[in-house]
Amino acid sequence: MMVSHGTRKIYLKWCRWIGTFLAMSAICIPGLWIVLSSFRPNVEILAKPAVWIPQDLNFDHYAAIFSSDPGQGAVPVWSYFQNSLIIATTSTLIALLIGMAGGYAFARYSFKGKDTMFLGFMLSRTVPGIALSLPLFMVYARLGIIDTDFGMILIYVALNLPFTIWLIDGFFRQVPQELNQAAQIDGCTPWQAFWLVEFPLAKSGIASAGIFAFLTSWNEFALASQLTRSTASKTLPVGLLDFTSEFTINWGGMCALAVIMIVPALLLTFIVQKHLVAGLTFGGVKG
Amino acid sequence: MKIGNRAFLFGSAMSAVILCGAGQAAFAKDEVMGDFSGVTLKAKFIGGNQYEPLYARITDWEKATGGKVEIISKKSHFEIDKEIKSDIAAGSTDWCVGYNHVSFAPQYTNLYTDLTPYIPQDTLDKYNPSFIEAATINGELQMLPRAQFDVSALYYRKSLYADPKNQKAFKEKYGYALTPPDTFDQFKDQAIFFADPPNFYGTQYAGKEEAVVGRFYELLVADGGQMFDKDWKPTFNSESGQQALQWFVDLYKAKAVPPGVLSYVWDDLGSGFASGSVALDLDWPGWASYFNDPKQSKVAGDVGVIVQPKGSSGKRTGWSGMHGFSMTKDCGDKKAAASLIWFLTNHDSQLFEAQKGPLPTRTKVWDDLIAQVKESGDTYRGEVLTAFQEASKHAFAVPKFPEWVESTNLIYPELQAAIVGDKTVKEALDDAAERVGDMMADYGY
Amino acid sequence: MKRKFLSPPVLLLLPAMIIIAAVVLVPLLLSLYTSFTPFKLTRPDTLYRWIGVRNYMRLFEDYYFWAAFLRTFVVLTIALNVEMLLGLGLAVLVNKAVSGQRALRTIMMFPMMFSPILVGFQFKFMFNDTVGLVNNALQSMGMERVIPWLVDEHLALFSILTAEIWSSTSVFAILILAGLMAIPRDPLEAARVDGCTPWQTFRHITLPYLMPFMFIAMTIRSLDIARAYDIVQIMTAGGPARRTELLWTMISRSGYVDANMGLANAMAYISILLSIFFTFYFFRKLMAARRYMGGAQ
Repeated sequence: MMVSHGTRKIYLKWCRWIGTFLAMSAICIPGLWIVLSSFRPNVEILAKPAVWIPQDLNFDHYAAIFSSDPGQGAVPVWSYFQNSLIIATTSTLIALLIGMAGGYAFARYSFKGKDTMFLGFMLSRTVPGIALSLPLFMVYARLGIIDTDFGMILIYVALNLPFTIWLIDGFFRQVPQELNQAAQIDGCTPWQAFWLVEFPLAKSGIASAGIFAFLTSWNEFALASQLTRSTASKTLPVGLLDFTSEFTINWGGMCALAVIMIVPALLLTFIVQKHLVAGLTFGGVKG
Repeated sequence: MKIGNRAFLFGSAMSAVILCGAGQAAFAKDEVMGDFSGVTLKAKFIGGNQYEPLYARITDWEKATGGKVEIISKKSHFEIDKEIKSDIAAGSTDWCVGYNHVSFAPQYTNLYTDLTPYIPQDTLDKYNPSFIEAATINGELQMLPRAQFDVSALYYRKSLYADPKNQKAFKEKYGYALTPPDTFDQFKDQAIFFADPPNFYGTQYAGKEEAVVGRFYELLVADGGQMFDKDWKPTFNSESGQQALQWFVDLYKAKAVPPGVLSYVWDDLGSGFASGSVALDLDWPGWASYFNDPKQSKVAGDVGVIVQPKGSSGKRTGWSGMHGFSMTKDCGDKKAAASLIWFLTNHDSQLFEAQKGPLPTRTKVWDDLIAQVKESGDTYRGEVLTAFQEASKHAFAVPKFPEWVESTNLIYPELQAAIVGDKTVKEALDDAAERVGDMMADYGY
Repeated sequence: MKRKFLSPPVLLLLPAMIIIAAVVLVPLLLSLYTSFTPFKLTRPDTLYRWIGVRNYMRLFEDYYFWAAFLRTFVVLTIALNVEMLLGLGLAVLVNKAVSGQRALRTIMMFPMMFSPILVGFQFKFMFNDTVGLVNNALQSMGMERVIPWLVDEHLALFSILTAEIWSSTSVFAILILAGLMAIPRDPLEAARVDGCTPWQTFRHITLPYLMPFMFIAMTIRSLDIARAYDIVQIMTAGGPARRTELLWTMISRSGYVDANMGLANAMAYISILLSIFFTFYFFRKLMAARRYMGGAQ
């Protein structure tokens, strides 16, 4: 069978289009279902037979969350939000700073035990949370930093460092070493050469490492549930459990809080997109 | 018995001394208040929408006594259990008032102190004695129960029972009239009768973890069996045990329950009943108002509640749970802590909490509550309260040993194996009994 | 020339080393110690009773533990491979899209905004057999029965894998997309001039360039896949009848619910071996791919 080149091209294009559409649907539907549920009364979300076309969309779950009576479903969402924001942002910034130093060291220098150390960093991430959570609790209890932002920031920095270091290492690897040398020949100090020449080139890569770190901290649950306990440091994922009691669950309310949690992360990702793109394409510098 | 008595008298004498010392002459009264200016109590409470409204009353206590309360932790049931255990392990017990629950209490005895010396006998008399008994471990009063008492009663769809077609068909098939079930056998018949999978089911049960073991335990006792004998030897693989487990197996085999029940815990049960796809639901009081709220539940207006069914021994049984407040051994201001605990569980607090739905543990609060509801003319609420009051008369707590929860983790996979048909009922129970027996031997029982 | 006490790379790495040592290494040693004790949370004095390797001996004889071990291994392997393939496909699709790239990329990352615990609740409700989205949808398309997604022997693991794959494929996709965009144009042009088919170009030019990115993604995912614990715990908690029991659910149940922290930590240490295996494997691959990319060795 002969298929002309042009027909085949159009055929391929359609396939790609449909494929993209299907893939995006698979990604979106489970998530959008949460968003939709947050605007529907529980009676509709969990109905049998299913109610496919929403009959009653409203903001009741949100109103309940922001109300002042915990009996009506109020949750101290402002303090959770604040804690999440402070903890995730600060830990990301610190992880990036330390990660940049570490990543640069791995990308630019050869030294004894380099591979071992690299592997060691990675392995530090393989430790199951459960093996860490109790000892951390004991140490934190001694130091009196349980239920503090500081304590959570410290953990998330450690949690994100290995990942950040590898990513940044990879991005610096793509910045030609000659640029730095050239800058130094032109009279820059190594420090200036780094900030003026190499950093701007790797900047976008660093931004994408930042997104990963931020999202990890923003969404982490297991350690946060163990080491935070009041509005002083409880984060949003831990707050989700406020909608469960021993025997009951308020699914709509939980979805509403989930949306409150997802929207800022989504916004941030969308904004940083630009840098992400720039960061990811600068590989062209080399080619 | 004698020793217990003596310890008890000693306790009363102590409380007299202490309370008099605080300038409280009326130690016999149901009251523990005082001047606690300058005292700050650190507290760890259970969090969640159902439990938190009560904490609003703390302000009243602060006003009355001059003390301050700092809630340093609010977490869900299992999370706070984790935290309290971690605290015991880490020795970070420099707080005063804490969450307790009868299912967990035996594990916390190293942490919490005996409340007897601080709580007047008059207060204890206000409770149903079985509640105080359940809160007492090794002769020590480990907690004072709040108005968060849990026992199950049977929710059912009224319209199904009122339908003449159903009545006729049921009578023909089973030979007795269709009324809400009074025994577990009738419960099973009716569940099978109503089931129309995949659109409608007779009933549901929670099929995993402590939940399924607790329900099994309830049936076991109702069928005349016991979990353990006097020497803590597992006896739940007895005839009665097999009969009890068979009930779960039969419902599953007859497809009278959704095939997914083994993954269900309590939230799935309530969601299922509220979705209108289930006829009968043996469930907790926390759902009562949810079920009858048209914004939450499709069956609103069609819900009936009656006392739980009888087992083959003719007994009704209610596996139950109670939330309460306890005081740590390391607490520096025990009098103030006792006062707060008393305040959060006193008549007014219990009435306050119970008005929002949960069940009280003080006898008089029950009476007041029912009177109030009668006056308001809320028939559904009246029906709920009557059913649960009756149900609570048959309530018992879980066996009082620290490894109870651990033993349920050994038992439930075996129950599940029998329900899905991987093992026979007898094999499954024998295996479970053997594993629990080994565990108990490990701990030196 | 004066020799510095600390060479620049060590100095640069020092902060990272200190933090990881404090937050990971110290607790790790503490829990290593407890794995040699009968440590029970509710009896703090048990922390000081040394019982040698008895916890480990018990585990070696425990059929259920090894069953969970094997199951975890299988689940990890399936999840990582499927995620990588889907991620690759997704990245290629998005990369080829002419318009709306920015939106597509954001959508692609959408699942990353969902906390694993939320994913657990979400898929538990979706896979609920009576009121869940999946069965409801199938039934309104004419299916006559109920599929017990979370109970059936194979479907239960499938459901968990679905949730895990949904939530984590994005990580692969975004990193592989990064790789795709960083590919230099020249070799691609040369290949076209030489008359390579698109598949040959992809196989021999694109893929080798993507390898480091894929292995970075693989390594990273194999490291924090234990986050899937939140998902599994909420969805099935290892049940029914241990059909979905993974190491993590088993460890946390015996550690916190049963309060047997000593035993749980022994399990955790054996499970670390599994992680080390995965990490080491991908690390070697990564190193090999790196050499191809250049940079300091």
